[in-house]
Amino acid sequence: MKIMYGMLMALTPAALYSLYAFGLAALARILTGVISAVVAEAIFQKLTGQKITVKDGSAAVTGLLLSLAVSVSTPLYALGISAAFGIIAGKQLLGGLGKNLFNPAMFGRLFYLFVFPDSILPWRQPVDMTTAATPLELLRETGEAAGVPVLDMFLGRIPGTIGEISTLMLLIGFSFLVYKKFVRWRIPASAFATVLVLSIIAGQNPLFHFFAGSLMLGACFMATDPMTSPRFPKGQVIFGIGFGLIIMSMRWWGWQTPGVYEFTEGTTFAVLTMNLFVPYLNKKFKPSRK
Amino acid sequence: MAMSSILRLISVLVVMLVVGLGWFRIGSSRLKKKGVAEVEARSQAKKEAKKFSLIAAFLYMVAMVSVAGLFM
Repeated sequence: MKIMYGMLMALTPAALYSLYAFGLAALARILTGVISAVVAEAIFQKLTGQKITVKDGSAAVTGLLLSLAVSVSTPLYALGISAAFGIIAGKQLLGGLGKNLFNPAMFGRLFYLFVFPDSILPWRQPVDMTTAATPLELLRETGEAAGVPVLDMFLGRIPGTIGEISTLMLLIGFSFLVYKKFVRWRIPASAFATVLVLSIIAGQNPLFHFFAGSLMLGACFMATDPMTSPRFPKGQVIFGIGFGLIIMSMRWWGWQTPGVYEFTEGTTFAVLTMNLFVPYLNKKFKPSRK
Repeated sequence: MAMSSILRLISVLVVMLVVGLGWFRIGSSRLKKKGVAEVEARSQAKKEAKKFSLIAAFLYMVAMVSVAGLFM
Protein backbone atom coordinates (compact mmCIF):
# COMPACT_ATOMS: atom_id res chain seq x y z
CA MET A 1 0.00 0.00 0.00
CA LYS A 2 2.85 2.33 0.91
CA ILE A 3 4.57 1.51 -2.38
CA MET A 4 1.43 2.28 -4.39
CA TYR A 5 0.99 5.68 -2.79
CA GLY A 6 4.72 6.24 -3.28
CA MET A 7 4.24 5.46 -6.98
CA LEU A 8 1.40 7.97 -7.19
CA MET A 9 3.62 10.61 -5.60
CA ALA A 10 6.51 9.73 -7.90
CA LEU A 11 4.31 10.11 -10.98
CA THR A 12 3.00 13.48 -9.81
CA PRO A 13 5.81 15.62 -11.38
CA ALA A 14 5.23 14.04 -14.81
CA ALA A 15 1.46 14.43 -14.41
CA LEU A 16 1.79 18.07 -13.38
CA TYR A 17 4.10 18.77 -16.30
CA SER A 18 1.55 17.21 -18.65
CA LEU A 19 -1.04 19.71 -17.35
CA TYR A 20 1.33 22.52 -18.29
CA ALA A 21 2.11 20.94 -21.66
CA PHE A 22 -1.33 19.80 -22.76
CA GLY A 23 -3.69 21.66 -20.42
CA LEU A 24 -7.19 20.45 -19.63
CA ALA A 25 -6.99 17.76 -22.31
CA ALA A 26 -4.33 15.98 -20.21
CA LEU A 27 -6.30 16.50 -16.99
CA ALA A 28 -9.41 14.97 -18.57
CA ARG A 29 -7.44 11.91 -19.66
CA ILE A 30 -5.71 11.45 -16.33
CA LEU A 31 -9.01 11.68 -14.45
CA THR A 32 -10.70 9.32 -16.91
CA GLY A 33 -7.91 6.74 -16.61
CA VAL A 34 -7.80 6.82 -12.81
CA ILE A 35 -11.56 6.92 -12.23
CA SER A 36 -12.25 4.14 -14.78
CA ALA A 37 -9.63 1.86 -13.25
CA VAL A 38 -10.82 2.44 -9.68
CA VAL A 39 -14.52 2.08 -10.53
CA ALA A 40 -13.91 -1.04 -12.65
CA GLU A 41 -12.01 -2.67 -9.79
CA ALA A 42 -14.68 -1.77 -7.24
CA ILE A 43 -17.52 -3.04 -9.44
CA PHE A 44 -15.71 -6.29 -10.29
CA GLN A 45 -14.91 -6.97 -6.63
CA LYS A 46 -18.47 -6.15 -5.57
CA LEU A 47 -19.96 -8.44 -8.23
CA THR A 48 -17.65 -11.32 -7.35
CA GLY A 49 -18.21 -10.96 -3.62
CA GLN A 50 -14.64 -9.94 -2.82
CA LYS A 51 -13.46 -7.34 -0.37
CA ILE A 52 -13.19 -3.97 -2.12
CA THR A 53 -9.53 -2.97 -2.10
CA VAL A 54 -9.44 0.23 -4.12
CA LYS A 55 -8.02 2.07 -1.12
CA ASP A 56 -4.70 0.25 -1.59
CA GLY A 57 -4.01 2.66 -4.47
CA SER A 58 -2.99 0.01 -7.02
CA ALA A 59 -5.97 0.62 -9.31
CA ALA A 60 -5.28 4.35 -9.23
CA VAL A 61 -1.62 3.67 -10.16
CA THR A 62 -2.76 1.50 -13.08
CA GLY A 63 -5.17 4.17 -14.30
CA LEU A 64 -2.58 6.92 -13.95
CA LEU A 65 0.16 4.94 -15.72
CA LEU A 66 -2.16 4.07 -18.58
CA SER A 67 -3.32 7.65 -19.01
CA LEU A 68 0.29 8.87 -18.98
CA ALA A 69 1.09 6.32 -21.70
CA VAL A 70 -1.49 7.46 -24.25
CA SER A 71 -1.59 10.38 -26.63
CA VAL A 72 -3.52 13.51 -25.72
CA SER A 73 -5.64 12.85 -28.82
CA THR A 74 -7.03 9.64 -27.31
CA PRO A 75 -10.84 9.67 -27.00
CA LEU A 76 -11.94 9.49 -23.37
CA TYR A 77 -14.18 6.46 -23.95
CA ALA A 78 -11.26 4.52 -25.47
CA LEU A 79 -9.11 5.28 -22.45
CA GLY A 80 -11.90 4.42 -20.01
CA ILE A 81 -12.63 1.06 -21.65
CA SER A 82 -8.92 0.22 -21.86
CA ALA A 83 -8.34 1.06 -18.19
CA ALA A 84 -11.29 -1.12 -17.18
CA PHE A 85 -10.03 -3.98 -19.36
CA GLY A 86 -6.51 -3.65 -17.94
CA ILE A 87 -7.82 -3.84 -14.37
CA ILE A 88 -10.32 -6.65 -14.89
CA ALA A 89 -8.41 -8.88 -17.33
CA GLY A 90 -4.87 -7.92 -16.37
CA LYS A 91 -5.30 -7.94 -12.61
CA GLN A 92 -8.59 -9.11 -11.14
CA LEU A 93 -9.11 -12.20 -13.30
CA LEU A 94 -6.15 -13.95 -11.66
CA GLY A 95 -7.14 -12.94 -8.16
CA GLY A 96 -6.04 -9.34 -7.76
CA LEU A 97 -2.92 -7.57 -6.56
CA GLY A 98 0.15 -9.80 -6.33
CA LYS A 99 -1.36 -12.62 -8.36
CA ASN A 100 -1.36 -10.88 -11.73
CA LEU A 101 0.83 -12.17 -14.53
CA PHE A 102 0.92 -9.00 -16.62
CA ASN A 103 1.33 -5.37 -15.68
CA PRO A 104 -2.32 -4.26 -15.77
CA ALA A 105 -1.54 -0.79 -17.16
CA MET A 106 0.44 -2.28 -20.03
CA PHE A 107 -2.18 -4.96 -20.64
CA GLY A 108 -4.73 -2.16 -20.89
CA ARG A 109 -2.45 -0.30 -23.27
CA LEU A 110 -2.01 -3.30 -25.53
CA PHE A 111 -5.80 -3.61 -25.60
CA TYR A 112 -5.99 0.09 -26.47
CA LEU A 113 -3.48 -0.31 -29.32
CA PHE A 114 -5.39 -3.32 -30.63
CA VAL A 115 -8.96 -2.06 -30.31
CA PHE A 116 -8.49 1.65 -30.98
CA PRO A 117 -5.42 1.86 -33.27
CA ASP A 118 -6.78 4.80 -35.23
CA SER A 119 -7.11 6.94 -32.10
CA ILE A 120 -3.39 7.11 -31.35
CA LEU A 121 -2.67 9.89 -33.81
CA PRO A 122 -2.10 12.77 -34.12
CA TRP A 123 0.71 13.52 -31.72
CA ARG A 124 0.63 17.04 -30.40
CA GLN A 125 3.40 19.50 -29.64
CA PRO A 126 3.36 20.66 -26.00
CA VAL A 127 1.83 24.05 -25.20
CA ASP A 128 0.80 25.12 -28.72
CA MET A 129 -0.86 21.73 -29.42
CA THR A 130 0.06 21.71 -33.12
CA THR A 131 0.39 18.28 -34.70
CA ALA A 132 3.94 17.00 -35.06
CA ALA A 133 5.98 13.83 -35.45
CA THR A 134 7.69 12.32 -32.41
CA PRO A 135 11.51 12.07 -32.32
CA LEU A 136 11.26 8.31 -32.90
CA GLU A 137 9.06 8.82 -35.96
CA LEU A 138 11.63 11.27 -37.29
CA LEU A 139 14.34 8.70 -36.62
CA ARG A 140 12.35 6.10 -38.56
CA GLU A 141 11.69 8.47 -41.46
CA THR A 142 15.14 9.99 -41.80
CA GLY A 143 17.25 7.14 -40.47
CA GLU A 144 19.12 9.38 -38.10
CA ALA A 145 18.53 10.91 -34.73
CA ALA A 146 19.63 14.41 -35.68
CA GLY A 147 17.28 17.37 -35.78
CA VAL A 148 15.71 17.17 -32.35
CA PRO A 149 17.74 18.97 -29.65
CA VAL A 150 18.50 16.55 -26.82
CA LEU A 151 17.84 19.31 -24.27
CA ASP A 152 14.29 19.74 -25.61
CA MET A 153 13.78 16.01 -25.22
CA PHE A 154 15.12 16.09 -21.67
CA LEU A 155 12.93 19.00 -20.62
CA GLY A 156 9.79 17.83 -22.42
CA ARG A 157 9.44 20.16 -25.39
CA ILE A 158 8.63 17.33 -27.80
CA PRO A 159 5.46 15.57 -28.91
CA GLY A 160 4.66 12.23 -27.33
CA THR A 161 2.32 10.58 -24.89
CA ILE A 162 0.93 12.59 -21.99
CA GLY A 163 3.48 11.46 -19.41
CA GLU A 164 6.55 10.40 -21.36
CA ILE A 165 7.71 13.70 -22.78
CA SER A 166 9.67 15.15 -19.86
CA THR A 167 12.58 12.97 -18.85
CA LEU A 168 13.47 15.48 -16.15
CA MET A 169 10.10 15.10 -14.40
CA LEU A 170 10.23 11.32 -14.68
CA LEU A 171 13.72 11.27 -13.18
CA ILE A 172 12.60 13.46 -10.28
CA GLY A 173 9.84 10.96 -9.54
CA PHE A 174 12.12 7.98 -10.00
CA SER A 175 14.71 9.49 -7.63
CA PHE A 176 11.99 9.61 -4.98
CA LEU A 177 11.26 5.91 -5.52
CA VAL A 178 14.95 5.03 -5.27
CA TYR A 179 15.36 7.17 -2.14
CA LYS A 180 12.39 5.43 -0.52
CA LYS A 181 13.67 2.02 -1.71
CA PHE A 182 10.32 1.38 -3.37
CA VAL A 183 11.83 0.31 -6.69
CA ARG A 184 13.91 -2.54 -8.11
CA TRP A 185 16.64 -0.32 -9.50
CA ARG A 186 18.53 -3.14 -11.23
CA ILE A 187 15.80 -3.37 -13.87
CA PRO A 188 16.09 0.20 -15.22
CA ALA A 189 19.88 0.15 -14.70
CA SER A 190 20.34 -2.94 -16.88
CA ALA A 191 17.77 -1.67 -19.40
CA PHE A 192 19.65 1.63 -19.75
CA ALA A 193 22.98 -0.19 -20.01
CA THR A 194 21.58 -2.34 -22.82
CA VAL A 195 20.24 0.71 -24.66
CA LEU A 196 23.57 2.48 -24.17
CA VAL A 197 25.59 -0.41 -25.63
CA LEU A 198 23.23 -0.98 -28.55
CA SER A 199 23.02 2.69 -29.49
CA ILE A 200 26.82 3.00 -29.42
CA ILE A 201 27.09 -0.10 -31.63
CA ALA A 202 24.58 1.47 -34.04
CA GLY A 203 26.49 4.76 -34.01
CA GLN A 204 23.52 6.68 -32.61
CA ASN A 205 23.40 9.16 -29.75
CA PRO A 206 22.56 7.20 -26.57
CA LEU A 207 21.02 10.32 -25.00
CA PHE A 208 18.54 10.46 -27.86
CA HIS A 209 17.45 6.92 -27.09
CA PHE A 210 17.28 7.58 -23.35
CA PHE A 211 15.07 10.63 -23.73
CA ALA A 212 12.95 9.60 -26.72
CA GLY A 213 9.72 7.64 -26.53
CA SER A 214 8.58 5.93 -23.39
CA LEU A 215 11.84 4.22 -22.40
CA MET A 216 12.16 6.34 -19.27
CA LEU A 217 8.51 5.94 -18.23
CA GLY A 218 8.57 2.23 -19.03
CA ALA A 219 11.90 1.34 -17.46
CA CYS A 220 11.45 3.40 -14.29
CA PHE A 221 7.75 2.94 -13.55
CA MET A 222 6.32 0.03 -15.52
CA ALA A 223 9.03 -2.60 -15.76
CA THR A 224 9.70 -2.13 -12.04
CA ASP A 225 6.15 -3.00 -10.95
CA PRO A 226 6.81 -5.08 -7.80
CA MET A 227 4.01 -7.54 -8.65
CA THR A 228 5.12 -8.36 -12.18
CA SER A 229 8.91 -8.10 -12.08
CA PRO A 230 11.48 -10.63 -10.83
CA ARG A 231 12.14 -10.79 -7.11
CA PHE A 232 15.83 -11.68 -7.20
CA PRO A 233 18.79 -9.57 -8.43
CA LYS A 234 20.01 -11.80 -11.30
CA GLY A 235 16.48 -12.18 -12.60
CA GLN A 236 16.01 -8.42 -12.45
CA VAL A 237 19.17 -7.85 -14.52
CA ILE A 238 18.04 -10.33 -17.19
CA PHE A 239 14.57 -8.79 -17.18
CA GLY A 240 16.10 -5.34 -17.74
CA ILE A 241 18.39 -6.56 -20.53
CA GLY A 242 15.47 -8.27 -22.29
CA PHE A 243 13.41 -5.11 -21.92
CA GLY A 244 16.19 -2.98 -23.43
CA LEU A 245 16.73 -5.41 -26.32
CA ILE A 246 13.05 -5.42 -27.28
CA ILE A 247 12.83 -1.62 -27.03
CA MET A 248 15.84 -1.10 -29.29
CA SER A 249 14.80 -3.72 -31.82
CA MET A 250 11.37 -2.08 -32.07
CA ARG A 251 12.99 1.31 -32.55
CA TRP A 252 15.16 0.05 -35.37
CA TRP A 253 12.85 -2.30 -37.18
CA GLY A 254 9.46 -1.85 -35.55
CA TRP A 255 6.17 -3.30 -36.65
CA GLN A 256 4.36 -1.66 -39.43
CA THR A 257 0.67 -1.71 -40.11
CA PRO A 258 0.52 0.01 -43.48
CA GLY A 259 -2.03 2.78 -43.71
CA VAL A 260 -2.84 2.75 -40.03
CA TYR A 261 0.04 3.20 -37.74
CA GLU A 262 3.70 2.43 -37.63
CA PHE A 263 4.99 1.34 -34.26
CA THR A 264 8.24 3.09 -33.49
CA GLU A 265 8.24 2.23 -29.81
CA GLY A 266 7.84 -1.06 -28.02
CA THR A 267 7.53 -0.38 -24.31
CA THR A 268 4.16 -2.11 -24.06
CA PHE A 269 5.40 -5.20 -25.90
CA ALA A 270 8.69 -5.19 -23.99
CA VAL A 271 7.07 -5.04 -20.55
CA LEU A 272 4.39 -7.65 -21.32
CA THR A 273 6.80 -10.04 -23.03
CA MET A 274 9.24 -9.87 -20.13
CA ASN A 275 6.33 -10.31 -17.66
CA LEU A 276 5.82 -13.77 -19.20
CA PHE A 277 9.32 -14.79 -18.11
CA VAL A 278 8.99 -13.61 -14.51
CA PRO A 279 7.81 -16.94 -13.01
CA TYR A 280 10.74 -18.68 -14.73
CA LEU A 281 13.26 -16.02 -13.64
CA ASN A 282 12.00 -16.20 -10.05
CA LYS A 283 12.40 -19.97 -10.05
CA LYS A 284 15.74 -20.07 -11.85
CA PHE A 285 17.48 -17.37 -9.84
CA LYS A 286 16.05 -18.00 -6.42
CA PRO A 287 19.06 -17.76 -4.08
CA SER A 288 19.88 -21.11 -2.52
CA ARG A 289 19.90 -21.28 1.27
CA LYS A 290 23.23 -22.25 2.75
CA MET B 1 -17.17 3.91 -31.15
CA ALA B 2 -16.34 2.57 -34.62
CA MET B 3 -17.70 -0.80 -35.74
CA SER B 4 -14.14 -2.04 -36.36
CA SER B 5 -13.30 -1.32 -32.71
CA ILE B 6 -16.36 -3.23 -31.54
CA LEU B 7 -15.37 -6.19 -33.72
CA ARG B 8 -11.84 -6.17 -32.35
CA LEU B 9 -13.16 -5.94 -28.78
CA ILE B 10 -15.50 -8.90 -29.35
CA SER B 11 -12.75 -10.91 -31.06
CA VAL B 12 -10.37 -10.62 -28.10
CA LEU B 13 -13.12 -11.58 -25.66
CA VAL B 14 -13.99 -14.61 -27.82
CA VAL B 15 -10.35 -15.71 -27.89
CA MET B 16 -10.17 -15.46 -24.10
CA LEU B 17 -13.42 -17.33 -23.65
CA VAL B 18 -12.59 -20.13 -26.08
CA VAL B 19 -9.09 -20.71 -24.70
CA GLY B 20 -10.31 -20.42 -21.10
CA LEU B 21 -13.19 -22.85 -21.46
CA GLY B 22 -11.12 -25.22 -23.60
CA TRP B 23 -8.26 -25.26 -21.15
CA PHE B 24 -10.63 -25.72 -18.23
CA ARG B 25 -12.18 -28.85 -19.78
CA ILE B 26 -8.86 -30.33 -20.86
CA GLY B 27 -7.11 -29.40 -17.62
CA SER B 28 -9.77 -30.73 -15.29
CA SER B 29 -10.06 -34.07 -17.10
CA ARG B 30 -6.25 -34.39 -17.17
CA LEU B 31 -6.04 -33.76 -13.43
CA LYS B 32 -8.89 -36.16 -12.70
CA LYS B 33 -7.08 -38.87 -14.66
CA LYS B 34 -4.04 -38.23 -12.50
CA GLY B 35 -6.18 -39.04 -9.47
CA VAL B 36 -6.73 -35.52 -8.16
CA ALA B 37 -10.08 -35.13 -6.39
CA GLU B 38 -12.80 -33.54 -8.55
CA VAL B 39 -13.23 -30.34 -6.54
CA GLU B 40 -9.46 -29.79 -6.38
CA ALA B 41 -9.05 -30.62 -10.08
CA ARG B 42 -11.73 -28.11 -11.08
CA SER B 43 -10.21 -25.42 -8.89
CA GLN B 44 -6.70 -25.96 -10.28
CA ALA B 45 -7.96 -26.16 -13.86
CA LYS B 46 -9.92 -22.92 -13.38
CA LYS B 47 -6.78 -21.11 -12.27
CA GLU B 48 -4.78 -22.46 -15.21
CA ALA B 49 -7.58 -21.65 -17.64
CA LYS B 50 -7.66 -18.01 -16.55
CA LYS B 51 -3.89 -17.73 -16.90
CA PHE B 52 -3.82 -19.27 -20.35
CA SER B 53 -6.78 -17.22 -21.58
CA LEU B 54 -4.77 -14.09 -20.67
CA ILE B 55 -1.66 -15.39 -22.40
CA ALA B 56 -3.78 -16.22 -25.46
CA ALA B 57 -5.26 -12.71 -25.43
CA PHE B 58 -1.76 -11.23 -25.21
CA LEU B 59 -0.44 -13.35 -28.09
CA TYR B 60 -3.54 -12.72 -30.18
CA MET B 61 -3.39 -8.94 -29.72
CA VAL B 62 0.35 -8.77 -30.38
CA ALA B 63 -0.02 -10.95 -33.47
CA MET B 64 -2.87 -8.84 -34.82
CA VAL B 65 -1.16 -5.55 -34.07
CA SER B 66 2.25 -6.58 -35.32
CA VAL B 67 2.39 -9.34 -37.86
CA ALA B 68 -0.97 -9.66 -39.49
CA GLY B 69 -2.46 -6.19 -39.17
CA LEU B 70 -5.86 -7.87 -39.53
CA PHE B 71 -8.97 -5.81 -38.83
CA MET B 72 -6.83 -2.71 -39.04
